[in-house]
Amino acid sequence: MRVLRIVIVLSILAVPKIVYSKVYLDVYATGMKKMVIGVPYFKGEGISRLRVDIPELLQKDLEFSGFFICAPWSLIDRELQDEGIERNEISFNKWKSIGIETLLKGKVKEKGEEIVTEIYLYDTSSASLELAKRYRTKKDALRSLVHRIADDIIEAVTGAKGILSSKLVFVAGPKGATDIYISSIDGLELRKITDFKSITVLPSLSPDGKYLSYTSYREGKPNLYVLDVEKKSYVYVDRDEGMKVGREWLDRKTLLYSHTSGKYSSIVKLDVESKTRKVILRKEGIITSPSPSPDGKTIVFASDMHGTPQIFSMDMTSGEIKRLTYNGKYNVSPSYSPKGDLIAFVSKIEGALEICVMDPKGSKVRMLTNSGEINDSPSFSPCGRYIVFSSQKGGKTGINLMFVNGENRRSLSITGQNEMQPRFTK
Amino acid sequence: MKLIVFILFVSFLFFGCAPKVIQPGVYEERIREERGTITPEKAESKTETKKDSEIIREAKIEEEDILKRESKKEKKSEDVHFSDVLFDFDSYIIKSEYYPLLDSLSGWLKSVDKVIIIEGHCDERGTQEYNLVLGQKRAEAVREYLLRKGVDPKKLKVISYGKEKPLDPRHTEEAWAKNRRAHFKVEQ
Repeated sequence: MRVLRIVIVLSILAVPKIVYSKVYLDVYATGMKKMVIGVPYFKGEGISRLRVDIPELLQKDLEFSGFFICAPWSLIDRELQDEGIERNEISFNKWKSIGIETLLKGKVKEKGEEIVTEIYLYDTSSASLELAKRYRTKKDALRSLVHRIADDIIEAVTGAKGILSSKLVFVAGPKGATDIYISSIDGLELRKITDFKSITVLPSLSPDGKYLSYTSYREGKPNLYVLDVEKKSYVYVDRDEGMKVGREWLDRKTLLYSHTSGKYSSIVKLDVESKTRKVILRKEGIITSPSPSPDGKTIVFASDMHGTPQIFSMDMTSGEIKRLTYNGKYNVSPSYSPKGDLIAFVSKIEGALEICVMDPKGSKVRMLTNSGEINDSPSFSPCGRYIVFSSQKGGKTGINLMFVNGENRRSLSITGQNEMQPRFTK
Repeated sequence: MKLIVFILFVSFLFFGCAPKVIQPGVYEERIREERGTITPEKAESKTETKKDSEIIREAKIEEEDILKRESKKEKKSEDVHFSDVLFDFDSYIIKSEYYPLLDSLSGWLKSVDKVIIIEGHCDERGTQEYNLVLGQKRAEAVREYLLRKGVDPKKLKVISYGKEKPLDPRHTEEAWAKNRRAHFKVEQ
């Protein structure tokens, strides 16, 4: 016991200063101040393309994240490019004078099929070293390496890891012939999971990625399937009458979904391992899109029980139901942030569907998109700072990404087909 | 208990030193390929196709198993000579103007030994998920009406397609009105 206490104390003392948070994403503010970063050529032995390639790809990733403005190389003169990477070799004032707040220096060495990369992240004002890391990779994993470096830099500067190494699960294909895909955000690691060419909707991976749930018409009517991803076999199928759709996992083995048949709609809690179902709410009319708070104490859902489609919350212990949305006549598809601070949802505004956020009490409603298009299916990144959603322009639907304050909106195109219902996998 | 001590000890080693100097072996990361899906850009298309077809093959095998297990396959169906029941925006209430159509349909059903499928559809101006359920309610509303007219429940099947199978794919009010419908098919 004594040994344990000493070890705990030492661990606390030894926690490094990783939170350097100079860039803070405030959901309710607009015009977030981005950090200006300089990423000059990397040093290395001999003439290696990687000395230019890695910084170039890294800059693309950092700009994609939305947290950085990368100083163009035209701004960095020969002298600065030729500088060393150790702290005593750097003219921090010179970097500061061209507006660079954070400086990323690097070194890369090729050893046969392997690359060894070192990075050093400096704050130019305090001339302090904020991050130093070495990575070993195979040459063919170059993109993954760059994404990892970018995520680590983002973590050092903002306090939470970036999404460059993240993956999305989504549905793609022409109407009526869609299938489920999992892909890295850059689209290079693309994996087709189903080959039904039927109507497939609302895929969702369980928290540890073990199970994949979705609703599919492959057997002629909409059934809910839960697949063991590794074993490629179903652990549960709900073939009951009616519509079964679900998107959110309560924990690693419990799925929440809605079941509508006859007069009633219910929210069902399914334990996929014990294969037991429990109805936790049942009402006449429509109830759908159950989404749990991260602490599991509340579930939000959409229902027309007050006449028009609105979002409600239910306390899991008391069963008390509260209405959250009061603006407009159509508020649906809620999704709770993993940080527990926001609920994203879709609101019909002037005939278009827009992505909005509100706090767990239904206050501080903000409209994030304002495109007059059909935006749908919002869900959060694990860090709670991004929302991924689908957006239809003209006839084509694509995956979009933005900060939770609506800024830094980007369009992704992974398969070239209509892509919908994206979710982060982890 | 020993495990906790071990984990804390390892964490201390890992985080303990301010990384001023890179020491070999300390604070190093090995980025591995994830299950062989990381591919270089040039060879990407070839490898990706190979990987895709592997996964597709496996998915197909699984599909066949399901089909073997599943006794009830989708029966063939074709359209019936009764036109669609159209609905108002976001509504699943049957408008009175469709009562004669449905009365006529119930009469026909009572006189034949057929099963009809009532399909519920929506226009594109709703979310995919909500529309799947709204389509279900539209189809159910029609079934409810026919049941009250005395049609045998065994003759009625219900399915929703949400906004996934629009009749008119255009993005106009006219098209949307046509898509908010209950459509009838007879099972063969």
